[in-house]
Amino acid sequence: MRTPTALMLAAVTLGAAPAFAQIEDSGERNKTFVEARGNVRPVPLPPGGPAPRMTDGHVDLSGTWFSGPTGRANAWSVVPDERVAEAPIPFTPAAKAKIESMTRAERELGRAQVTCQPLGVPAMFVDNPYPHQISMKPDLFIHLIESNNNWRVVRLPGRHKPAEEQETLYMGDTATRWEGDTFVMETISLDTRPWIQGNGWYKTDQTKITERLRRPSRNYLEYQYTVEDPNTLTAPWTSAWRTFSLSADNEVLTENFCTNNENVEQFMKLAEQEREKQRR
Amino acid sequence: MRVCFGVVLAVAALAAAAPVSAHHAFAVEFDAKNCSDVNGVLTRVSYENPHAYLFMNVKLANGQTQEATFQLSSTSNLRRGGATPAVLNASINKDVIIRGCASRNGESHRYAASFIKLADGTVQRLGQDVEGIFGTKVWR
Repeated sequence: MRTPTALMLAAVTLGAAPAFAQIEDSGERNKTFVEARGNVRPVPLPPGGPAPRMTDGHVDLSGTWFSGPTGRANAWSVVPDERVAEAPIPFTPAAKAKIESMTRAERELGRAQVTCQPLGVPAMFVDNPYPHQISMKPDLFIHLIESNNNWRVVRLPGRHKPAEEQETLYMGDTATRWEGDTFVMETISLDTRPWIQGNGWYKTDQTKITERLRRPSRNYLEYQYTVEDPNTLTAPWTSAWRTFSLSADNEVLTENFCTNNENVEQFMKLAEQEREKQRR
Repeated sequence: MRVCFGVVLAVAALAAAAPVSAHHAFAVEFDAKNCSDVNGVLTRVSYENPHAYLFMNVKLANGQTQEATFQLSSTSNLRRGGATPAVLNASINKDVIIRGCASRNGESHRYAASFIKLADGTVQRLGQDVEGIFGTKVWR
């Protein structure tokens, strides 16, 4: 049996022919794939038994969590991301028009992953490919993310600050409660700079995000969020549940500060090119 | 080994999970339809966030050399995928092949890299699979 690596190396050694020509020329469904170190073959973790509980009896959400079911970084999975079916977002006509008027580069320039701003809520869960570390006590939820080493800390149970003490923050002002085994966080007073998702969906001073976290078994964490905003939505919108899995290798987060950012300059250049095309 | 798409799809169904958001949309900045194998001498490794970079001297048909720049994934992804600074630095001043997709901003010799064939022959993943050459096609 010929291996992809052998084929690839054979192509390289042919010299005259461009290396990996079979990749460029083959059809979508019968191509020979490149074997490379770093490729991840997704093997879902087993449930791992019941979720641990804290001293007060509530589910303990602590752990290092990767997006997806493998307990490992999945950025280089050899299997396509499975898009989760979600209801259409009920944008108001004005919000829809505003988002659709943005060029692709302009949408990118609003993403905290591009500008290296704090991701905020809920993007730290939904626009973040890097792992999470949660440390939980009966009265405290500490959420660290590797993406630009952002963090948030909320009390539980927790109430919103009085209106006169509200200030606009990336992580907003969060009230918390338990609904059975589901941990619920309601956040208001959000800084409007980072998108809700990475698609131009913007926040306003009326945006309220309700997040739900549950741990159905030891190895799995699930996350869902609801967005309410009378300025941009005709009705509340709730996401599908997203799956996270416990680090299979007992990893901790690594330093990941975004200090050498060339993306902003690149995307501004592209945005200007796109606007120039529109003007012609 | 020819990969059977049925098997791939079965695994995909098994692994149905959250959409994993990429750092940012590849297709905005780079052209996934304009990718090629670039041969040359690796001259520098810049291991930094939000993206690492490789620099290569490419020998042109007229005998002159041209510097090419390759944007890689984040250092978090690289480290977890085995592309550590030591692994990449070991090929400095040696011949390598990098698979790169051209920048859309008009700068020639600026690419996003998906893999490198290191001087020791190892094929090392460096970035997203926008061409589908690793078995998936990820348009972000």
